[in-house]
Amino acid sequence: MRVDMEARTDLGRVRKNNEDNFAAVPEMGLYVLSDGMGGEAHGEVASGLAIEAIRDHCGEWSRNPELPLFGDAVANLPERANRLASAVRLANRAIYESAQKHPSQKGMGATVVAIWLDDEQMSVAHVGDSRLYRMRQGQLEQITQDHSLVAEQVRRGILTQQQADSSQMQSVLIRALGIDPEVEVDAEEHPVLPGDSLVLCSDGLNRMVSDPDIGSVLNTSLSAKEAVDRLIALANENGGEDNVTVIVVRVGGGSDGWLARLWRWLCGE
Amino acid sequence: MAKLILKYEAAVIKEVDVGAQPISIGRAPDNDLHVDNLAVSSHHARIFNDGGKLVVEDMNSLNGTFVNSQRITRATLKPGDVVSVGKHSIEVRGEAEPIPTSATPAAPKPAAPKLQETMVLDTKKRRELLAQAMAAGGTGAAATPTAEATATAAPPAPPRVRIPWLVVLEGKTDQREYPLSNRLTVIGKSSMATVRLTGWFAPKVAAQISKRDDGFYIGTGDKVPKVNGQAITQPTKLNEGDVIELGKVRLSFVFRD
Repeated sequence: MRVDMEARTDLGRVRKNNEDNFAAVPEMGLYVLSDGMGGEAHGEVASGLAIEAIRDHCGEWSRNPELPLFGDAVANLPERANRLASAVRLANRAIYESAQKHPSQKGMGATVVAIWLDDEQMSVAHVGDSRLYRMRQGQLEQITQDHSLVAEQVRRGILTQQQADSSQMQSVLIRALGIDPEVEVDAEEHPVLPGDSLVLCSDGLNRMVSDPDIGSVLNTSLSAKEAVDRLIALANENGGEDNVTVIVVRVGGGSDGWLARLWRWLCGE
Repeated sequence: MAKLILKYEAAVIKEVDVGAQPISIGRAPDNDLHVDNLAVSSHHARIFNDGGKLVVEDMNSLNGTFVNSQRITRATLKPGDVVSVGKHSIEVRGEAEPIPTSATPAAPKPAAPKLQETMVLDTKKRRELLAQAMAAGGTGAAATPTAEATATAAPPAPPRVRIPWLVVLEGKTDQREYPLSNRLTVIGKSSMATVRLTGWFAPKVAAQISKRDDGFYIGTGDKVPKVNGQAITQPTKLNEGDVIELGKVRLSFVFRD
Protein backbone atom coordinates (compact mmCIF):
# COMPACT_ATOMS: atom_id res chain seq x y z
CA MET A 1 0.00 0.00 0.00
CA ARG A 2 1.22 3.48 -0.79
CA VAL A 3 0.73 5.84 2.10
CA ASP A 4 1.83 9.39 2.63
CA MET A 5 2.34 9.90 6.32
CA GLU A 6 3.77 12.41 8.76
CA ALA A 7 4.00 12.25 12.54
CA ARG A 8 5.16 14.99 14.84
CA THR A 9 4.91 16.24 18.39
CA ASP A 10 5.17 19.81 19.63
CA LEU A 11 5.58 21.23 23.13
CA GLY A 12 2.86 23.83 22.66
CA ARG A 13 3.17 27.29 24.16
CA VAL A 14 2.42 26.75 27.83
CA ARG A 15 3.74 23.42 29.02
CA LYS A 16 7.36 23.05 30.04
CA ASN A 17 7.76 19.41 29.12
CA ASN A 18 6.27 17.18 26.49
CA GLU A 19 4.34 14.26 27.91
CA ASP A 20 3.21 12.92 24.53
CA ASN A 21 4.93 10.10 22.69
CA PHE A 22 4.27 8.38 19.40
CA ALA A 23 5.51 5.66 17.07
CA ALA A 24 5.02 5.51 13.32
CA VAL A 25 6.07 2.25 11.67
CA PRO A 26 4.90 2.58 8.04
CA GLU A 27 6.44 -0.73 6.97
CA MET A 28 4.07 -2.47 9.41
CA GLY A 29 1.20 -0.01 8.95
CA LEU A 30 1.30 0.60 12.72
CA TYR A 31 0.74 4.07 14.20
CA VAL A 32 0.49 4.69 17.93
CA LEU A 33 0.06 7.89 19.94
CA SER A 34 0.01 8.29 23.71
CA ASP A 35 -0.51 11.29 26.00
CA GLY A 36 0.98 10.84 29.46
CA MET A 37 -0.07 12.34 32.76
CA GLY A 38 1.44 12.54 36.22
CA GLY A 39 3.63 15.08 37.97
CA GLU A 40 7.31 15.83 37.46
CA ALA A 41 8.54 13.99 34.39
CA HIS A 42 6.39 10.91 34.89
CA GLY A 43 3.83 11.65 32.21
CA GLU A 44 6.38 11.07 29.49
CA VAL A 45 7.60 7.94 31.27
CA ALA A 46 4.08 6.54 31.15
CA SER A 47 3.45 7.44 27.50
CA GLY A 48 6.92 6.14 26.57
CA LEU A 49 6.22 2.80 28.25
CA ALA A 50 2.90 2.56 26.39
CA ILE A 51 4.45 3.18 22.99
CA GLU A 52 7.29 0.74 23.60
CA ALA A 53 5.02 -2.05 24.86
CA ILE A 54 2.63 -1.74 21.93
CA ARG A 55 5.29 -1.53 19.24
CA ASP A 56 7.22 -4.45 20.70
CA HIS A 57 4.21 -6.72 21.14
CA CYS A 58 2.90 -6.08 17.62
CA GLY A 59 6.37 -6.45 16.12
CA GLU A 60 6.98 -9.69 17.95
CA TRP A 61 3.69 -11.11 16.70
CA SER A 62 4.68 -10.32 13.12
CA ARG A 63 7.74 -12.51 13.61
CA ASN A 64 6.06 -15.14 15.79
CA PRO A 65 2.40 -15.81 14.97
CA GLU A 66 2.22 -18.22 17.92
CA LEU A 67 2.74 -15.41 20.43
CA PRO A 68 0.01 -15.71 23.09
CA LEU A 69 -2.54 -12.95 23.54
CA PHE A 70 -2.49 -10.93 26.73
CA GLY A 71 -6.07 -11.03 27.97
CA ASP A 72 -9.08 -12.58 26.30
CA ALA A 73 -9.81 -12.44 22.58
CA VAL A 74 -13.06 -10.81 21.48
CA ALA A 75 -14.98 -13.30 19.35
CA ASN A 76 -16.17 -11.15 16.45
CA LEU A 77 -12.93 -9.19 16.01
CA PRO A 78 -10.24 -10.20 13.52
CA GLU A 79 -6.94 -11.54 14.82
CA ARG A 80 -5.01 -8.32 14.24
CA ALA A 81 -7.49 -6.16 16.14
CA ASN A 82 -7.31 -8.62 19.02
CA ARG A 83 -3.54 -8.42 18.85
CA LEU A 84 -3.63 -4.63 19.05
CA ALA A 85 -5.99 -4.77 22.04
CA SER A 86 -3.65 -7.29 23.65
CA ALA A 87 -0.74 -4.88 23.15
CA VAL A 88 -2.71 -2.06 24.78
CA ARG A 89 -3.52 -4.27 27.79
CA LEU A 90 0.20 -5.07 28.07
CA ALA A 91 1.01 -1.35 27.96
CA ASN A 92 -1.45 -0.81 30.80
CA ARG A 93 0.26 -3.48 32.86
CA ALA A 94 3.72 -2.10 32.11
CA ILE A 95 2.79 1.39 33.37
CA TYR A 96 0.89 0.04 36.34
CA GLU A 97 3.77 -2.16 37.44
CA SER A 98 6.35 0.56 36.99
CA ALA A 99 4.25 2.91 39.15
CA GLN A 100 3.91 0.22 41.82
CA LYS A 101 7.65 -0.34 41.86
CA HIS A 102 8.64 3.34 41.95
CA PRO A 103 6.66 5.29 44.57
CA SER A 104 7.58 8.59 42.90
CA GLN A 105 5.65 7.51 39.79
CA LYS A 106 2.44 6.91 41.72
CA GLY A 107 -0.56 8.22 39.82
CA MET A 108 1.12 8.33 36.42
CA GLY A 109 -0.97 7.19 33.51
CA ALA A 110 -1.48 7.61 29.79
CA THR A 111 -4.03 7.61 27.03
CA VAL A 112 -3.47 5.69 23.84
CA VAL A 113 -4.87 5.52 20.33
CA ALA A 114 -3.43 3.02 17.87
CA ILE A 115 -4.20 1.94 14.32
CA TRP A 116 -2.79 -0.99 12.40
CA LEU A 117 -3.76 -0.99 8.76
CA ASP A 118 -3.29 -2.60 5.36
CA ASP A 119 -4.80 -1.85 1.94
CA GLU A 120 -8.30 -2.79 2.91
CA GLN A 121 -8.83 -2.62 6.65
CA MET A 122 -7.60 -1.09 9.81
CA SER A 123 -7.65 -2.27 13.40
CA VAL A 124 -8.24 0.48 15.94
CA ALA A 125 -7.68 0.37 19.70
CA HIS A 126 -7.95 3.17 22.21
CA VAL A 127 -8.20 4.14 25.86
CA GLY A 128 -8.64 7.72 27.08
CA ASP A 129 -9.25 10.92 25.14
CA SER A 130 -6.67 10.82 22.36
CA ARG A 131 -8.60 10.59 19.14
CA LEU A 132 -8.77 8.99 15.73
CA TYR A 133 -10.49 10.95 12.97
CA ARG A 134 -11.13 9.79 9.44
CA MET A 135 -11.55 12.11 6.49
CA ARG A 136 -13.45 10.43 3.66
CA GLN A 137 -15.07 12.06 0.67
CA GLY A 138 -14.44 15.44 2.26
CA GLN A 139 -16.26 14.48 5.45
CA LEU A 140 -14.50 14.34 8.81
CA GLU A 141 -15.68 11.76 11.29
CA GLN A 142 -14.44 11.09 14.82
CA ILE A 143 -14.01 7.33 14.99
CA THR A 144 -13.04 6.92 18.64
CA GLN A 145 -15.27 7.98 21.51
CA ASP A 146 -13.47 9.80 24.33
CA HIS A 147 -13.32 8.08 27.68
CA SER A 148 -13.77 11.37 29.47
CA LEU A 149 -16.31 12.35 32.07
CA VAL A 150 -17.87 15.06 29.89
CA ALA A 151 -18.11 12.76 26.84
CA GLU A 152 -19.81 10.15 29.01
CA GLN A 153 -22.22 12.78 30.30
CA VAL A 154 -23.03 13.82 26.73
CA ARG A 155 -23.64 10.19 25.79
CA ARG A 156 -25.99 9.84 28.74
CA GLY A 157 -27.82 13.02 27.86
CA ILE A 158 -26.73 14.89 31.01
CA LEU A 159 -24.75 17.57 29.15
CA THR A 160 -25.14 19.05 25.71
CA GLN A 161 -22.10 19.11 23.45
CA GLN A 162 -21.87 22.89 23.93
CA GLN A 163 -21.85 22.52 27.71
CA ALA A 164 -19.20 19.83 27.42
CA ASP A 165 -16.99 22.02 25.20
CA SER A 166 -16.91 24.77 27.81
CA SER A 167 -16.77 22.50 30.86
CA GLN A 168 -13.94 22.78 33.34
CA MET A 169 -14.09 19.02 33.77
CA GLN A 170 -12.77 18.29 30.27
CA SER A 171 -9.50 16.96 31.65
CA VAL A 172 -11.17 14.33 33.77
CA LEU A 173 -10.83 10.88 32.24
CA ILE A 174 -12.83 7.84 33.22
CA ARG A 175 -10.39 5.40 31.65
CA ALA A 176 -6.62 5.52 31.19
CA LEU A 177 -3.63 3.21 31.06
CA GLY A 178 -1.65 2.49 34.23
CA ILE A 179 -4.29 3.29 36.84
CA ASP A 180 -5.61 -0.22 37.54
CA PRO A 181 -4.04 -3.64 36.89
CA GLU A 182 -6.69 -4.30 34.22
CA VAL A 183 -8.12 -1.93 31.65
CA GLU A 184 -11.05 -2.13 29.25
CA VAL A 185 -9.82 -1.47 25.71
CA ASP A 186 -12.10 -0.30 22.90
CA ALA A 187 -11.08 -2.22 19.78
CA GLU A 188 -12.72 -2.17 16.36
CA GLU A 189 -12.08 -3.07 12.75
CA HIS A 190 -12.88 -0.60 9.96
CA PRO A 191 -12.66 -0.75 6.18
CA VAL A 192 -10.08 1.52 4.55
CA LEU A 193 -10.64 3.11 1.15
CA PRO A 194 -8.18 4.76 -1.23
CA GLY A 195 -8.28 8.48 -0.53
CA ASP A 196 -9.05 8.12 3.19
CA SER A 197 -7.00 10.29 5.53
CA LEU A 198 -6.57 9.14 9.09
CA VAL A 199 -5.62 11.52 11.88
CA LEU A 200 -4.43 10.44 15.30
CA CYS A 201 -4.07 13.28 17.79
CA SER A 202 -3.63 14.16 21.44
CA ASP A 203 -6.17 16.46 23.07
CA GLY A 204 -3.73 19.35 22.58
CA LEU A 205 -5.03 19.43 19.00
CA ASN A 206 -8.76 18.91 19.33
CA ARG A 207 -9.13 21.24 22.34
CA MET A 208 -7.44 24.05 20.44
CA VAL A 209 -8.75 23.42 16.92
CA SER A 210 -12.40 22.72 16.12
CA ASP A 211 -13.45 19.72 14.06
CA PRO A 212 -14.53 21.87 11.08
CA ASP A 213 -11.09 23.53 11.10
CA ILE A 214 -9.33 20.16 11.26
CA GLY A 215 -11.50 19.07 8.34
CA SER A 216 -10.73 22.10 6.23
CA VAL A 217 -6.97 21.75 6.80
CA LEU A 218 -7.14 18.11 5.67
CA ASN A 219 -9.26 18.99 2.66
CA THR A 220 -6.90 21.71 1.49
CA SER A 221 -3.51 20.17 2.26
CA LEU A 222 -1.56 18.57 -0.55
CA SER A 223 0.46 16.23 1.64
CA ALA A 224 0.46 14.66 5.07
CA LYS A 225 3.41 16.86 5.99
CA GLU A 226 1.59 20.02 5.04
CA ALA A 227 -1.48 18.92 7.02
CA VAL A 228 0.59 18.19 10.14
CA ASP A 229 2.47 21.51 9.84
CA ARG A 230 -0.74 23.47 9.56
CA LEU A 231 -2.60 21.61 12.32
CA ILE A 232 0.23 22.11 14.83
CA ALA A 233 0.61 25.77 13.82
CA LEU A 234 -3.13 26.29 14.27
CA ALA A 235 -3.13 24.66 17.72
CA ASN A 236 -0.33 27.00 18.78
CA GLU A 237 -1.98 30.06 17.25
CA ASN A 238 -5.11 29.27 19.26
CA GLY A 239 -3.17 29.16 22.53
CA GLY A 240 -1.12 25.97 22.42
CA GLU A 241 -2.19 25.16 25.95
CA ASP A 242 -1.05 21.56 25.84
CA ASN A 243 1.44 19.38 24.01
CA VAL A 244 0.23 18.70 20.48
CA THR A 245 0.90 15.44 18.70
CA VAL A 246 -0.53 14.69 15.28
CA ILE A 247 -0.12 11.71 12.97
CA VAL A 248 -1.66 12.00 9.50
CA VAL A 249 -1.82 8.92 7.27
CA ARG A 250 -3.11 9.47 3.73
CA VAL A 251 -4.02 6.25 2.02
CA GLY A 252 -2.94 6.17 -1.63
CA GLY A 253 -5.65 7.77 -3.72
CA GLY A 254 -6.48 4.98 -6.15
CA SER A 255 -3.06 5.19 -7.77
CA ASP A 256 -2.32 1.62 -6.86
CA GLY A 257 -4.93 -0.05 -9.04
CA TRP A 258 -3.92 -2.61 -11.66
CA LEU A 259 -3.61 0.08 -14.32
CA ALA A 260 -1.19 2.11 -12.21
CA ARG A 261 0.81 -0.99 -11.38
CA LEU A 262 0.94 -2.00 -15.05
CA TRP A 263 2.04 1.52 -15.99
CA ARG A 264 4.81 1.49 -13.40
CA TRP A 265 5.88 -1.96 -14.61
CA LEU A 266 5.99 -0.73 -18.19
CA CYS A 267 8.02 2.25 -17.08
CA GLY A 268 10.39 -0.12 -15.33
CA GLU A 269 9.87 1.37 -11.88
CA MET B 1 5.24 44.46 36.14
CA ALA B 2 8.57 43.12 37.32
CA LYS B 3 10.64 41.34 34.70
CA LEU B 4 13.57 38.97 35.16
CA ILE B 5 16.31 38.65 32.56
CA LEU B 6 18.45 35.55 32.69
CA LYS B 7 21.94 36.15 31.29
CA TYR B 8 25.16 34.24 30.85
CA GLU B 9 27.97 36.80 30.65
CA ALA B 10 26.46 39.37 28.29
CA ALA B 11 24.16 36.97 26.46
CA VAL B 12 20.45 37.13 27.27
CA ILE B 13 19.06 33.62 27.61
CA LYS B 14 15.50 34.23 28.67
CA GLU B 15 13.10 36.88 29.95
CA VAL B 16 10.10 36.24 32.17
CA ASP B 17 7.48 38.42 33.78
CA VAL B 18 6.73 37.88 37.46
CA GLY B 19 3.01 37.41 37.85
CA ALA B 20 1.11 35.86 40.72
CA GLN B 21 2.99 32.57 40.45
CA PRO B 22 6.54 32.21 41.77
CA ILE B 23 9.31 31.93 39.18
CA SER B 24 11.47 28.89 39.86
CA ILE B 25 15.15 28.82 39.01
CA GLY B 26 17.29 25.70 38.70
CA ARG B 27 18.97 23.05 36.61
CA ALA B 28 15.92 20.76 36.27
CA PRO B 29 14.03 21.36 33.02
CA ASP B 30 10.74 21.99 34.84
CA ASN B 31 11.98 25.35 36.17
CA ASP B 32 10.63 28.61 34.75
CA LEU B 33 14.21 29.79 34.43
CA HIS B 34 16.10 26.69 33.43
CA VAL B 35 19.84 27.16 34.03
CA ASP B 36 21.80 24.34 32.47
CA ASN B 37 24.95 24.45 34.58
CA LEU B 38 26.36 21.92 37.04
CA ALA B 39 27.06 24.64 39.63
CA VAL B 40 23.31 25.23 39.86
CA SER B 41 21.09 22.97 41.98
CA SER B 42 18.12 21.29 40.32
CA HIS B 43 15.71 23.57 42.24
CA HIS B 44 18.01 26.37 43.24
CA ALA B 45 15.96 29.44 44.11
CA ARG B 46 12.70 31.19 43.40
CA ILE B 47 11.53 34.75 42.94
CA PHE B 48 7.99 35.79 43.70
CA ASN B 49 5.69 38.70 44.38
CA ASP B 50 5.12 38.84 48.13
CA GLY B 51 2.27 41.27 48.59
CA GLY B 52 3.73 43.82 46.17
CA LYS B 53 7.37 43.23 47.05
CA LEU B 54 9.63 41.16 44.87
CA VAL B 55 11.41 38.54 46.95
CA VAL B 56 14.15 36.04 46.14
CA GLU B 57 14.53 32.93 48.24
CA ASP B 58 17.33 30.39 48.11
CA MET B 59 16.01 26.82 48.19
CA ASN B 60 18.91 25.21 50.09
CA SER B 61 21.06 25.28 47.00
CA LEU B 62 24.54 23.82 47.23
CA ASN B 63 26.42 26.81 45.86
CA GLY B 64 24.21 29.58 47.09
CA THR B 65 22.20 32.48 45.69
CA PHE B 66 23.69 35.98 45.61
CA VAL B 67 22.13 39.43 45.34
CA ASN B 68 24.61 42.05 44.17
CA SER B 69 27.40 39.66 45.28
CA GLN B 70 25.98 39.15 48.80
CA ARG B 71 25.01 35.57 49.65
CA ILE B 72 21.39 35.51 50.81
CA THR B 73 18.78 33.02 51.92
CA ARG B 74 15.95 35.50 51.39
CA ALA B 75 16.05 39.08 50.19
CA THR B 76 13.77 41.78 48.85
CA LEU B 77 14.65 42.87 45.32
CA LYS B 78 14.45 46.28 43.71
CA PRO B 79 14.85 47.26 40.04
CA GLY B 80 18.46 47.01 38.94
CA ASP B 81 19.42 44.28 41.41
CA VAL B 82 21.37 41.33 40.03
CA VAL B 83 20.73 37.83 41.37
CA SER B 84 23.54 35.35 40.68
CA VAL B 85 23.27 31.57 40.56
CA GLY B 86 26.44 29.76 39.49
CA LYS B 87 27.87 31.74 36.58
CA HIS B 88 24.47 32.99 35.45
CA SER B 89 22.93 36.26 36.47
CA ILE B 90 19.34 37.41 36.65
CA GLU B 91 18.66 41.10 36.25
CA VAL B 92 15.61 42.64 37.89
CA ARG B 93 13.65 45.24 35.92
CA GLY B 94 10.48 47.01 36.99
CA GLU B 95 8.54 46.96 40.24
CA ALA B 96 6.34 44.13 41.48
CA GLU B 97 2.65 44.93 41.24
CA PRO B 98 0.51 45.02 44.35
CA ILE B 99 -1.50 41.85 44.61
CA PRO B 100 -5.18 42.52 45.25
CA THR B 101 -5.92 39.18 46.87
CA SER B 102 -4.84 38.41 50.40
CA ALA B 103 -3.12 35.26 49.22
CA THR B 104 0.46 34.98 50.41
CA PRO B 105 2.39 33.44 47.56
CA ALA B 106 5.38 33.09 49.88
CA ALA B 107 4.05 29.81 51.18
CA PRO B 108 4.97 27.01 48.80
CA LYS B 109 1.84 25.84 47.04
CA PRO B 110 0.82 22.27 47.70
CA ALA B 111 0.74 20.29 44.49
CA ALA B 112 -3.00 20.54 44.06
CA PRO B 113 -4.05 19.25 40.67
CA LYS B 114 -4.78 22.17 38.38
CA LEU B 115 -7.88 21.80 36.27
CA GLN B 116 -5.70 21.84 33.19
CA GLU B 117 -3.87 18.75 34.40
CA THR B 118 -5.42 15.56 33.16
CA MET B 119 -6.66 13.29 35.90
CA VAL B 120 -8.35 9.94 35.99
CA LEU B 121 -11.23 8.92 38.15
CA ASP B 122 -11.04 5.52 39.74
CA THR B 123 -14.02 3.27 39.32
CA LYS B 124 -15.59 4.19 42.64
CA LYS B 125 -15.26 7.94 42.17
CA ARG B 126 -16.57 7.64 38.64
CA ARG B 127 -19.69 5.83 39.82
CA GLU B 128 -20.29 8.43 42.50
CA LEU B 129 -19.85 11.37 40.15
CA LEU B 130 -22.05 9.91 37.48
CA ALA B 131 -24.65 8.93 40.05
CA GLN B 132 -24.66 12.50 41.38
CA ALA B 133 -24.94 13.89 37.90
CA MET B 134 -27.78 11.55 37.06
CA ALA B 135 -29.60 12.34 40.31
CA ALA B 136 -29.17 16.06 39.70
CA GLY B 137 -31.34 16.07 36.64
CA GLY B 138 -30.16 13.44 34.23
CA THR B 139 -32.77 12.93 31.59
CA GLY B 140 -33.40 9.23 31.83
CA ALA B 141 -32.95 8.74 35.56
CA ALA B 142 -36.18 10.46 36.43
CA ALA B 143 -38.14 7.72 34.75
CA THR B 144 -36.75 5.07 37.07
CA PRO B 145 -36.05 6.80 40.36
CA THR B 146 -35.26 3.62 42.27
CA ALA B 147 -32.39 3.62 44.72
CA GLU B 148 -30.65 0.97 42.73
CA ALA B 149 -30.74 2.82 39.44
CA THR B 150 -29.20 5.96 40.88
CA ALA B 151 -26.65 4.12 43.00
CA THR B 152 -25.13 2.28 40.07
CA ALA B 153 -25.83 5.04 37.54
CA ALA B 154 -26.91 2.40 35.08
CA PRO B 155 -28.38 3.86 31.92
CA PRO B 156 -32.12 3.41 32.04
CA ALA B 157 -33.10 0.23 30.26
CA PRO B 158 -35.27 0.73 27.21
CA PRO B 159 -38.78 -0.58 27.72
CA ARG B 160 -38.13 -3.50 25.38
CA VAL B 161 -35.33 -4.57 23.15
CA ARG B 162 -35.90 -3.47 19.59
CA ILE B 163 -33.42 -4.62 16.99
CA PRO B 164 -32.76 -2.53 13.91
CA TRP B 165 -32.87 -4.25 10.53
CA LEU B 166 -32.00 -3.33 7.01
CA VAL B 167 -34.58 -4.56 4.54
CA VAL B 168 -33.60 -4.64 0.87
CA LEU B 169 -36.17 -2.85 -1.28
CA GLU B 170 -34.26 -3.04 -4.55
CA GLY B 171 -30.87 -4.16 -5.91
CA LYS B 172 -28.50 -7.11 -5.84
CA THR B 173 -27.52 -8.31 -2.36
CA ASP B 174 -26.76 -11.71 -0.88
CA GLN B 175 -29.76 -11.64 1.49
CA ARG B 176 -33.04 -9.79 1.63
CA GLU B 177 -32.81 -8.64 5.26
CA TYR B 178 -30.04 -8.02 7.76
CA PRO B 179 -30.18 -7.49 11.53
CA LEU B 180 -27.70 -4.81 12.67
CA SER B 181 -26.06 -6.65 15.53
CA ASN B 182 -22.51 -5.30 15.39
CA ARG B 183 -21.07 -1.94 16.31
CA LEU B 184 -20.09 -1.47 12.70
CA THR B 185 -21.98 -2.77 9.68
CA VAL B 186 -20.28 -2.46 6.32
CA ILE B 187 -22.32 -2.42 3.11
CA GLY B 188 -20.40 -3.29 -0.07
CA LYS B 189 -18.31 -5.90 -1.80
CA SER B 190 -15.55 -5.86 0.84
CA SER B 191 -14.75 -9.06 2.70
CA MET B 192 -15.69 -7.12 5.83
CA ALA B 193 -19.17 -6.40 4.52
CA THR B 194 -22.17 -7.76 6.39
CA VAL B 195 -24.53 -6.49 3.72
CA ARG B 196 -22.86 -8.03 0.69
CA LEU B 197 -23.54 -6.29 -2.61
CA THR B 198 -23.25 -8.67 -5.54
CA GLY B 199 -23.63 -6.39 -8.55
CA TRP B 200 -20.73 -6.30 -11.02
CA PHE B 201 -19.81 -2.73 -10.42
CA ALA B 202 -20.71 -2.61 -6.75
CA PRO B 203 -18.23 -0.61 -4.65
CA LYS B 204 -16.07 -2.24 -2.01
CA VAL B 205 -17.54 -0.13 0.74
CA ALA B 206 -20.71 1.60 -0.34
CA ALA B 207 -21.51 2.85 3.15
CA GLN B 208 -21.11 1.89 6.75
CA ILE B 209 -23.44 2.10 9.69
CA SER B 210 -22.01 2.57 13.18
CA LYS B 211 -23.79 2.05 16.42
CA ARG B 212 -23.35 4.90 18.87
CA ASP B 213 -24.85 5.34 22.29
CA ASP B 214 -27.76 7.32 20.97
CA GLY B 215 -28.52 5.40 17.81
CA PHE B 216 -27.28 4.22 14.43
CA TYR B 217 -25.37 6.51 12.09
CA ILE B 218 -24.70 6.03 8.41
CA GLY B 219 -21.39 7.26 6.99
CA THR B 220 -19.86 7.45 3.55
CA GLY B 221 -17.91 4.78 1.68
CA ASP B 222 -16.62 4.89 -1.91
CA LYS B 223 -19.66 6.96 -2.75
CA VAL B 224 -21.84 9.26 -0.75
CA PRO B 225 -25.09 7.49 0.21
CA LYS B 226 -28.49 9.14 0.06
CA VAL B 227 -30.95 9.02 2.92
CA ASN B 228 -34.56 9.72 1.89
CA GLY B 229 -33.28 11.14 -1.38
CA GLN B 230 -30.73 13.52 0.20
CA ALA B 231 -26.99 12.91 -0.16
CA ILE B 232 -25.53 12.97 3.34
CA THR B 233 -22.90 15.56 4.22
CA GLN B 234 -21.87 14.02 7.52
CA PRO B 235 -22.56 10.83 9.49
CA THR B 236 -26.32 10.88 9.75
CA LYS B 237 -28.54 9.34 12.38
CA LEU B 238 -31.00 6.85 10.98
CA ASN B 239 -34.66 6.97 11.96
CA GLU B 240 -37.31 4.31 11.66
CA GLY B 241 -38.46 4.01 8.08
CA ASP B 242 -35.53 5.87 6.49
CA VAL B 243 -34.69 4.74 2.96
CA ILE B 244 -31.00 4.42 2.12
CA GLU B 245 -29.90 4.61 -1.52
CA LEU B 246 -26.53 3.28 -2.65
CA GLY B 247 -26.42 3.46 -6.41
CA LYS B 248 -29.00 0.93 -7.57
CA VAL B 249 -29.50 -0.60 -4.14
CA ARG B 250 -32.21 0.69 -1.86
CA LEU B 251 -32.55 -0.36 1.75
CA SER B 252 -35.05 0.48 4.42
CA PHE B 253 -34.07 0.94 8.08
CA VAL B 254 -36.65 -0.49 10.46
CA PHE B 255 -36.89 -1.64 14.08
CA ARG B 256 -38.38 -4.94 15.09
CA ASP B 257 -39.06 -6.39 18.52
